[in-house]
Amino acid sequence: MNKVITLVKIVWLEMIRRKDLYVLLILLATLLAALLSFDIFGLSQVAGYVKDMGLLAVWLLAWILTINTSVRQLPQEQQQGTLFTLLAKPVSRLDLILGKWLGAWSLTCLSLLCFYATLCLGVWIKGGFFNPTTLFQAILLHGAALSLVCSLGIALSTRMNRDAAQVTTYVVTGTAFVILPQVPSMLVGANTVTGSALYTIYYLFPHFEFFDLRRRLIHDGGHAPWLVVGEILIYAVFMTGVFLTLAWLGYRKRRFSRGDIL
Amino acid sequence: MKPAIDIQGLSVAFPSRTGTVHALQDLTLSVAPGTVFGFLGPNGAGKTTTIQVLLGFQEASAGTASLFGHATTHTIAREKIGYLSENPDSYNFLTGRELLTFAGRLFSLPSSEIKKRTAELLSETGLTEAADRRIATYSRGMRQRICMAQALINDPELLILDEPTGGLDPLGRRDIRRMIAARKEAGKTIFFSSHELSEVELACDRIAILSKGRLIAEGPVSSLVPPGESLERYFINTVSA
Repeated sequence: MNKVITLVKIVWLEMIRRKDLYVLLILLATLLAALLSFDIFGLSQVAGYVKDMGLLAVWLLAWILTINTSVRQLPQEQQQGTLFTLLAKPVSRLDLILGKWLGAWSLTCLSLLCFYATLCLGVWIKGGFFNPTTLFQAILLHGAALSLVCSLGIALSTRMNRDAAQVTTYVVTGTAFVILPQVPSMLVGANTVTGSALYTIYYLFPHFEFFDLRRRLIHDGGHAPWLVVGEILIYAVFMTGVFLTLAWLGYRKRRFSRGDIL
Repeated sequence: MKPAIDIQGLSVAFPSRTGTVHALQDLTLSVAPGTVFGFLGPNGAGKTTTIQVLLGFQEASAGTASLFGHATTHTIAREKIGYLSENPDSYNFLTGRELLTFAGRLFSLPSSEIKKRTAELLSETGLTEAADRRIATYSRGMRQRICMAQALINDPELLILDEPTGGLDPLGRRDIRRMIAARKEAGKTIFFSSHELSEVELACDRIAILSKGRLIAEGPVSSLVPPGESLERYFINTVSA
C-alpha cells in the first residue's frame, strides 16, 4: 500500500505543478462571476438560476478534468520513459494502476470540493442556499461518479493511445449520461432485435444518472433516502472494481519496449 | 550461493508483418555475485531485449530468467537491483532530492535511511547544490547522474546498466565510470551493455558477446582476448565471423 500512496503523491505533485487545477478554478470563478453579473431574461436575481447553471458548470468541469487527468496517466509514463524506471523497481503493475487511479481520483475529488465551495459562495451571494444534507449527498455521489469515469479512462488507456482513450471515454460517458436514461422509454414499442440491443446497452454502460442529485439541490427537494445512496455507492465501488480489473488485465502481460508510443 | 543473474535457454520472438522476429535465441548465461559483467554486441543483437526480460518489461517466449533465484516476472526479484538506462528519463517536475526520496519510498526504505542515502548520493554525484532545483533545469550529464543516484538509492546488490555513458561528454562519462568503479570496489555485481569497448576492457571481469540474438562468446576478458590484441579487434573479428 505504501508504494500506491507514493505513486499517488507523484500524481498530485505533477497536477499541482502543471497548474491544471488553477486553470479550472479560474474558469469556474469566471463563470460564476458572469452568472452573478448578467441579467439574462431578468432571471439573474433568482438563486435557483445560479444553482442550475453553476451545477451544470461543476459537472462539466469535473467531467473534463477527470477524463483529461485519468487517460494521460499511463501513456505519459511510457512516453516520458519513466515507466521503465518505475517497473525496474519492486512495483507491480497492479500497484501502478491503483496508484494512478487513486491519485487522479483523489485530485479530482479535491477539485470537486473547490468547485462546490465556489458554487455555494455564488448561491449565497444571490441570497440562496443548499440543503446541507442534500449537498453532502450530491457531493458524495458526484465523487463516486468521478471514480467510475476515472477508472474507465485508465482502463481504456491501457489498450489505446492517449487521444483515442480520451475520445472514447468522452463518448462512452457522454452517451451513458445523456442517452441511457431515455432507454426505458425507447423500449416501448421496440421490436425484439432493437429491444435486445437497447437492453444490452442499458445494462453494459455505467449509469451516471444514478449519481445526479442536481434536481433535488435546485428545487430543494430534500435529501435522498440513505439506503438508496448506499446502494448507489455500492454500485460505484462495483463498477470501479470492474474497470480497474479490466485495466489490470490489459496491462499485466503487456510487453514494454522503448520506442513503443502509447 | 545463488547467481545474481541466471538465464537458461531464453528466447524472445515478436510477430511482425514479415513473419516472426527472433530477438533472442536460446540464450544461456550465468553471472556470479560480485562480478562486473560486460554485455556486448552490435546494434540489434538482443542486448536491450535481454535487459528488458531481466527487468520484467517483457516476458520470454521460451526459457527462464532469474535474479538472485527469483523469477524476473516477480516484483521481489527487483528488490536488490538498480537500473540505469541510456536515456536519463525522470520526472522533470520533481527536484533531484524529491526524485531520490520517491525512489527510496518505492523500495519501502525507512525515512531516516532515505534521508541518509539521498545526502550521500547527492554528494557522490556532485549534485548537492542542485538538489532542490527541478530536474527540468538540469543538463544531460546532471540528469544521467541523478538517474544513476536513483538507481543506487537501495544500495543494490546488482546494478543493471544499459549504455550508461551513451550520449555523454567526456566529463559525464568520467563521473559515471567513477560511480561504477566505486560499486565494483564494494563487491557489487554489475551487468552492463556498452559500445565503449575500452571502458569494458578496463572494468569487466567477464564479457559475453551477442550477435543476431545468439551468444557467440563468453568468458573472462583475459582468456577470450589473445595477448597483444585489443578487445575492440577481438570483438570485430568475432562478430564479423
